[in-house]
Amino acid sequence: MTQPPPIPAANGRDLASSRLLETLNVLGVYILVAGLFAIGCAVSRQFLTPDNLLNALRSVALMGIVAVGVAFITYSRHYVDLSIPGIMALSGTVAVWALQYGIVASLAAGLAAGLVIGIINGLVVGYLRLNPIIWTLAMMSILSGVIRWAYAGRQIYPDAATAAGRAFLDLYHHAVFGVVPLPLVILPIAAAVGHVVMRHTGYGAALKLTGSNYEVARLSGVHVRGVVAGAFAISALASGVAGIFLTSFNKVGAVYIGEGYDFKTITAVVLGGMTLAGGRGNIAGVLGGVMAIALMSNVMSLVRIGDFTIGQFAQNIVQGAVFILVVGVNSFSRRKAGRDDA
Amino acid sequence: MRDGGESSAAGKAAAIAYRWRVWLLCAGIFAVMGCMAPNFLTARNFADILKGVATNLPAAIGFTIVLLAGQLDLSVGSAMTLGGMLVMGLAPELGWAGAFAVAVAGGVVLGLANGLLVARAKINSFIVTLGAMIIVYNAMAIYCKGGTITTDSFGLSDWFQRPLVGAAPLGAAGAAQWPAWLTLWLTPRNLVPLALLAGASLLLRRTPVGRGFYLLGGNPQAAWYSGLRVDAYVVGAFVLSASLSAVGGSLVAMSEAAGSLKLGENSLMAIVAAAVIGGTSMEGGKGSVIGTAVALVALTALINGLSCLGAGHEVKLMASGLVLALVILYDACWLHVRQRTKGQRKDLLLELKTRGASS
Repeated sequence: MTQPPPIPAANGRDLASSRLLETLNVLGVYILVAGLFAIGCAVSRQFLTPDNLLNALRSVALMGIVAVGVAFITYSRHYVDLSIPGIMALSGTVAVWALQYGIVASLAAGLAAGLVIGIINGLVVGYLRLNPIIWTLAMMSILSGVIRWAYAGRQIYPDAATAAGRAFLDLYHHAVFGVVPLPLVILPIAAAVGHVVMRHTGYGAALKLTGSNYEVARLSGVHVRGVVAGAFAISALASGVAGIFLTSFNKVGAVYIGEGYDFKTITAVVLGGMTLAGGRGNIAGVLGGVMAIALMSNVMSLVRIGDFTIGQFAQNIVQGAVFILVVGVNSFSRRKAGRDDA
Repeated sequence: MRDGGESSAAGKAAAIAYRWRVWLLCAGIFAVMGCMAPNFLTARNFADILKGVATNLPAAIGFTIVLLAGQLDLSVGSAMTLGGMLVMGLAPELGWAGAFAVAVAGGVVLGLANGLLVARAKINSFIVTLGAMIIVYNAMAIYCKGGTITTDSFGLSDWFQRPLVGAAPLGAAGAAQWPAWLTLWLTPRNLVPLALLAGASLLLRRTPVGRGFYLLGGNPQAAWYSGLRVDAYVVGAFVLSASLSAVGGSLVAMSEAAGSLKLGENSLMAIVAAAVIGGTSMEGGKGSVIGTAVALVALTALINGLSCLGAGHEVKLMASGLVLALVILYDACWLHVRQRTKGQRKDLLLELKTRGASS
């Protein structure tokens, strides 16, 4: 999967076997994806149409961009950023607001808004060591209040009469080289960057050590507080990108943009073999997890037996059950293998 | 409890203020709102505040117990919705008592599922309860087909809202002695959560079972070594939390004569905020349900005062989160300062400084 890093390992066999285990784990996700694909072909004739597959891929793209960011937080053993929906909504609305200064300013402002929230989260969780779940839950509440307050509960629309507005609305549908939608181009770039940062940089090594054992990392001289803060900033930036795309797709900046993305992405991340215990897993697995989640909802929405269809609510129930099940099986197998005491 | 170097009067005052911070916060909010907000200091408005507190109090008690045991329960809001929905949906067939029993049983089942997954399957409680929150909410959405379940019989809801004293026809002579404001508050809807609070507080403070939760949360390893049935306590905490939430939700639904999906939607934020602001530690083993209740009163008063001042819905949504953020930031700063000065001997530092200046 990946070439071993050029560090001299004390015990090469251990390292190799742990790599092998990880690769198998990732392979498992892709087998699941293939299985879901086969089920999709079996249950519905609409599944294997270009339109439907493109739809599924687009939702993969948005969720994947967010998930690559969330992976950094999970990798650092800080679970998840529950303020992701708020960050996505904020980036989107700020970008729409800044359209009056042109498309470039709009994108920059949207990303900056997301990044600022990420830095605040990082400072508080990383430096002040506050509980990430409680803090980001509070942040989510504040953000949703701020967005509602700033626009007095109204939604704001990009103005299609201006060139910048048209460019913004085109963002999601823009086809690079005439075929590939822009989000689908951004996702591989984000994933590649995420992979390189996580595996081949000093920051990635520090992040892995911090996630595996915070105290050991601190005592070995890793700047743990900064490392954790960085993970939150990266995640917020990724959420900002996805938030802008989602706003462009919905043609409206509103507080509900991004609802549910926190839960969907953390499900994808743990499904992809990145455990909540930190320091394990990789980006390839996370992408597999995203594909599995996206395919699952796609297939479920296509199932039709007579009048019976699986509604949005039932889909959510299945996702919730899968979420608990995956984490349960994961932690069980690791405990059996003696790799985790938790 | 005193650390070296905390001898100055200011340090003492700060320590006392820190210890009683929930009460101070509550008093401060009442003082500020009383001065600024029109119609805040009226009996009717206080009754409104109490009603708001009573809505979330049972679930907040349960959430606090789970936190004390060192776990997290994000499904309390959904459990409230579950209780409210079941009681309204089943009442036509089973009668109020039967429906209430089923609603509480639903809460117990949810708590058992949460607890067993956490204690036996050893899945992180954040994951289990986040999943449970989504599963239960959506199941209820299917159950009520995305809407609201209402009832035409207002007898029970009237009884829940009616003052126990004063308005009672039998005690007409004695009722005159009760002040008007008191009769407004003493409704079954307010009193049941209050009784639950008293019960939970007694359980946690006075009984070995209650102390067990503190022991478990403070140090699970030590609790296990001292022969505490750790798994049973974890499951018990989740069962208490979910069933109390279901009771709270069904009380609300019965007094409003309507069960809606929105019932527990905004409650989670307020409950988490109240428990954490009330001084219950996220690491477990520290805190009290009384602290949670006081913080809940403070939060509800703040939100109520803001709406007296004419603030919109969005400010109210934001208030819980903002106060929670401020309080935990204050806590973190306080801890930071304490850790820096812990064990510091000021007299020696002073000596060093004066020597450095003279040489």
